[in-house]
Amino acid sequence: MTLAIQTQQLRKEYKGRAVVQGLDLEVGEGEVFGFLGPNGAGKSTTVKMLLGLVRPTSGSVRVLGGSPDDPAVRARLGFLPEQFRFQTWMTAQEFLNFHGQLAGLKAEELRTRIPTVLERVGLGGRGTEALGGYSKGMLQRAGLAGAILAHPRLVFLDEPTSALDPVGRVEVREIIQELRREGVTVFLNSHLLSEVEQVSDRVAFVKAGEVVRAGTMNELLGGALPVMIKVDALTPQLLADLGRLGQLEQQSAQQVSVMVSGEEAIPALASAVAASGAQLYALTPQRHDLEDLFLELVGTSGDSRQAALTGRVA
Amino acid sequence: MSNVLLMARLSLSEALRKKLIVVLLVLTAAFLGFYLYGILRLEQNLTERAANAGLSAGPRRGLGALPVVYSGIFGMYLVYFLGSLMAVLSTVASVSGDIESGVMQSVIARPVTRAQVVLGRWLGFTGMNVLYVLLVSVALLTGLYLITGYLPPNPTAAVAQILLGIVLITSLTVLGSTLFATLANGIAVFVLYGLGSAGGILKSIGALANSPTMESLGNAANIVMPTNALWLGASYNLQTEGALQLAQVARGANPFASTTPIEPGVLIWAAVYTALAVALAMWRFSRRDL
Repeated sequence: MTLAIQTQQLRKEYKGRAVVQGLDLEVGEGEVFGFLGPNGAGKSTTVKMLLGLVRPTSGSVRVLGGSPDDPAVRARLGFLPEQFRFQTWMTAQEFLNFHGQLAGLKAEELRTRIPTVLERVGLGGRGTEALGGYSKGMLQRAGLAGAILAHPRLVFLDEPTSALDPVGRVEVREIIQELRREGVTVFLNSHLLSEVEQVSDRVAFVKAGEVVRAGTMNELLGGALPVMIKVDALTPQLLADLGRLGQLEQQSAQQVSVMVSGEEAIPALASAVAASGAQLYALTPQRHDLEDLFLELVGTSGDSRQAALTGRVA
Repeated sequence: MSNVLLMARLSLSEALRKKLIVVLLVLTAAFLGFYLYGILRLEQNLTERAANAGLSAGPRRGLGALPVVYSGIFGMYLVYFLGSLMAVLSTVASVSGDIESGVMQSVIARPVTRAQVVLGRWLGFTGMNVLYVLLVSVALLTGLYLITGYLPPNPTAAVAQILLGIVLITSLTVLGSTLFATLANGIAVFVLYGLGSAGGILKSIGALANSPTMESLGNAANIVMPTNALWLGASYNLQTEGALQLAQVARGANPFASTTPIEPGVLIWAAVYTALAVALAMWRFSRRDL
């Protein structure tokens, strides 16, 4: 796996307080990587170090095989900042033109590229309006257009859907999937766990500036799977049959939870119910999702306790 | 280099788009109109009085020329003051404003060095401020000449020294903008400007009272902030022989004008100081967290 991002023992202190400590991250090229953690865990600070906006106190950062301090490396990066604040006196077209020129795109290329990206983020035909008149959601879309404008190889999206409605969120998810198809690495910082779960290949949980768990979705969420079964009546025979497939936890006279090894065991459960002659009302795999894992790993909200422990993280 | 020019152009179009330039030009035109109208009435008065006294309507000499000379000096003093104010206010948020609003993050994430961003901002604001002060200076002196037929002895040298002062103030404001928050920067540069003027006053009183201590204090203030020394250098070039002689008799008891040309050392220091401020701003901004 070629690495798009690699950090070793990355550390950042503000006034002696460590916001990021000993962070080891590896993101492969072409991956959609979800970076999760409570408020104040050091996520945005990490992104800023990966972009060269913030200097690490110690440790090393490699992005696309080089240092983010190197403009040639930054030429291949796209970034949607969490606050998506831009020059409000510009029109969206001027904003993209300015950023395209900064990124080194030629004028003739920008003429075709700008309408394309505006169309792609759902702002087609709105490019001549001043950003000052944009809604929050439109501004975030304009920022996303800026992030993908210069054909980046690695895109950082910091809370990319915080200002968007459900339709906008689906559209952003589609854009992320499109980027993945083009082989672009996406580093996704988000609180919206279901969203991360739907698009990410791998995720890392960060807490108090350290990675507490990282892996593919399958590694994190695979393994034992509780399946809830509801029938008209649980006979001892049926319970015995189900008991051979997995550990049982009877919840009522009609309902039982069976812990099986994985999805491949589900058909066998259905067959056992059918063979017993019971009337089946529900058979629901209760897959763990990222939210369960998040709560398990992180425990408390970042705003309450953690924030007090680790201090400010911009 | 193209990135520097891009940032400079951004500063200019921002000033244009935010109506800064329009407001400034309209208000400046009002100021110039008001001041030149005053000079026009002065000229009419003087001509009338000369006619009543039965004097020929020729060029005024000696003390008779002083009112017009002074209207030139103090007009240019106002131009310099307005220009300094404009230099600080237009530039005060040049870097800090973009940091505070968060705009800077998306700019710095592009393949542009931070030194280029600072240099580009400096170039844009310096260009705008220099052009503005040059324009107002030329307008004022031209108006003065058209109304009274008088032009100060060495207007080019005077305007050049005024412009150096404007460039220095702009540069220090850009530097402050990489060091402090916008408001703190504005206060800091104005206090420095005030210090420069205080130095000029101390020096002038020191010369009158023959007090070397006060003159040393004035010199120290001129080193910390040479803007007032630059103005005094300019004022020397705006005075006629007669005005200079009168001021010498008064032993320089006028802190707004100088009877001696600027020392070359001060000129060189002002230029070096300007370059140092820009270099320090580029260096400082390159190592701060955003």
